[in-house]
Amino acid sequence: MTAPPPTRSAPAIPAAAKDSSADGAASRTWWMRRQRTWAPYVFISPFYLLYGLFMLVPILVGLYLSCTEWAGLGTPKWVGLRNYRDLLGDHSFWTAVGNTTLYVVFTMCVVIPAALLIAQALNARGLRGRDLFRLTYFMPVVISPIVITLVFGLLFDTEFGLLNALGQALFGFGGIDWLGSPGWARVTVVILVLWRWTGYLTIFFLAGLQNVPRELYEAAAIDGAGPVSRFRNVTLPCLRPVTAFVAVTVLVSTAQIFDEPFLLTQGGPGESTLSVAMFIFRAGFVRQQLGYAAAAGVLLFVAVFVLGRLAMRLLGVGRDDR
Amino acid sequence: MSELSRRSLLKAGAGAGLGLLAAPALAGCGSGSAKAVTTGPVQISLWTHDPGYIKTFQDAAKDARLMRGSRFDYSVKPTTAAGSDVVTRMIAQAVADGNTPDLAGLIIDQFPRVMNARIAETLFVDLSDTVRPFGDDLLKLAPYSVDKVPYALDSDNSITVLYYRQDVFDKYQVPEAVETWEEFLEHGERLAKDHKISIGMVSTGDNGSIVNGFNQFLLQRGGGFFNAAGELTLDSPEALEVLEFMTRGVRSGALLALPDPYGSACAAALKTGRLAATAMPNWYNAYGLQANVPDQKGRWRMRTLPRFEGGGHVGSTLGGTGFAVLKDKPHTEAALELLRRVYLTREGQILRYKNGGFLPTLQPLYEDPEFTSIKDEYLGGQKVFDVYGKAAADLPVFYQAPGMQILMDVLGGPVLDALKGRTSPAAALKAGLKAYRQQVKR
Repeated sequence: MTAPPPTRSAPAIPAAAKDSSADGAASRTWWMRRQRTWAPYVFISPFYLLYGLFMLVPILVGLYLSCTEWAGLGTPKWVGLRNYRDLLGDHSFWTAVGNTTLYVVFTMCVVIPAALLIAQALNARGLRGRDLFRLTYFMPVVISPIVITLVFGLLFDTEFGLLNALGQALFGFGGIDWLGSPGWARVTVVILVLWRWTGYLTIFFLAGLQNVPRELYEAAAIDGAGPVSRFRNVTLPCLRPVTAFVAVTVLVSTAQIFDEPFLLTQGGPGESTLSVAMFIFRAGFVRQQLGYAAAAGVLLFVAVFVLGRLAMRLLGVGRDDR
Repeated sequence: MSELSRRSLLKAGAGAGLGLLAAPALAGCGSGSAKAVTTGPVQISLWTHDPGYIKTFQDAAKDARLMRGSRFDYSVKPTTAAGSDVVTRMIAQAVADGNTPDLAGLIIDQFPRVMNARIAETLFVDLSDTVRPFGDDLLKLAPYSVDKVPYALDSDNSITVLYYRQDVFDKYQVPEAVETWEEFLEHGERLAKDHKISIGMVSTGDNGSIVNGFNQFLLQRGGGFFNAAGELTLDSPEALEVLEFMTRGVRSGALLALPDPYGSACAAALKTGRLAATAMPNWYNAYGLQANVPDQKGRWRMRTLPRFEGGGHVGSTLGGTGFAVLKDKPHTEAALELLRRVYLTREGQILRYKNGGFLPTLQPLYEDPEFTSIKDEYLGGQKVFDVYGKAAADLPVFYQAPGMQILMDVLGGPVLDALKGRTSPAAALKAGLKAYRQQVKR
């Protein structure tokens, strides 16, 4: 029979050390207990810090500034809601709102359908040079604004423009004052919007179309559906999520349109192509009325937010209908 | 120890976040004062939109003759930005107590932005003492003055002259020495009708170009947008007369309507010979004519502007860039000294002309042999200071006011409507004035 192994006795620990070790163990246990609670917050904290720094703070500062009069230097002077009251009575602001509404309506009603139709054409079976077409349609988005300004300025010039020269040669009239007449200037801006963004949106629709199962078309064809019927009953329902995404993003971005009118007409002639974003830029960085610009910015933010939410609800973005 | 609740954790996070955010703001409250440099090597931070000014200041810093006797050994650290961005960023940096430039180039139409809310007074050195010795010899201070205190020195007199195609004038028998605009317009109407050639242009593009074109004629006629006190003076017989003159010119084709004097349409007008004359400042020779129609070298000439029958000047002005010294900085003294040497000395003005074609702003230099002997090969070897000298002696004063930008925005549309015949000149001015008074109240 073997003797049992000797029991290893714990070394003697002084009382004070014992206490501190007990505290350390307790604190370790406390940390370990809370690690599980804290860890998710620590992991997501960078987002919230950045969100606070770059989103909440500017929004709150913007709100504060909108109730002040400030030229950019010195102490902002609190004026309450005066900027909002002035905005509501500012003819230029309402001109800008009207123009922006026109751009939004045009984009929603013309650019998106045009993009969808072009995508449908590009998705046709047996189309040769599809990549070349894609490249061609996408090109306007990446062309330098300087080039756009120069080329469109020359295309639409009244005296030396290509369009008027073509009109003169083909139809015997070519005196349209594209950039100098308020009405035609708006038309010119929407033409530029159409040219610049249709191809870009086409890419989204094309990606959506390529995911529509061929079998659905074949089944519809067997049921006697023609091309129009197939487009209405197969293509459109299948593209609904893509269409909703495109519509909402286009709505939000067009409501803040700046580049196109700025490049082509700088808001002119007069203020006939001025957009709300340009109005804000002009108030803030041309006239140094930063409080007034902030108030217009807050109104634009509210309008875009409400319109965006409405559009998302209407189009069912993020809702699973299945 | 009590359990840390989610609420208290979020509170702690918010507190930390606010602390983080407050840190730079609190740091910004510091004075940032440093010891002023009074001698030795100094690097001047220069912000401008135009590489021509960078070259000028860099060359000046290396010019031993120009810097003789200076306590400073200069080098220049340039930053290039769009004209409007120079002002925007400078104000933003000043708010943050950050890195403002020592010398800032302010395009003339951007200066009204700093006329508001004492921005110029807060940021820039008062140049009254610097310019006092020059008295009336120093031209073009008014556009950069607030309450009669000058805050910037212009780089160029920007004298408007009449450029014309001598060969076209010879061919179609237009006298080169026509006395008045009214007479000149009659020749223009004949040329437009018979040969589809115009003898001037008006801008019909953006509001800035439209109003600048109008202002150039208005100044020559003896009018102006504002007076020395910053009061609006647009409601004047001169303004109406000038707008009627421009409208008549556009209607008859004597004045060609173009989006702006620099773009592709203007280049086409010059290349095709549709535009045989134009009233533009001295810098248009390089940036407009030589840039667009180098092949027409030797065919162009220049002269002083024809007068208006009703009176006014033989010169006018359009454009310019003033340089201001930022105050209360370590390099303020050095920057002011550099600006003085380059902008207020004979040698500095010669260097500026040679570097960028910037016309002297000191009146006596228009009779200096160094300048009067200059011949312009593009203009057929013409001695250009014969013309500039006459115009500089009879230049109108251009005043600006804080509401200048608003006026530009609200006047552009009505002036264009008048030029296009959609309204009468009187109604256009009335509409512009009404809109200005409504908006400037803010």
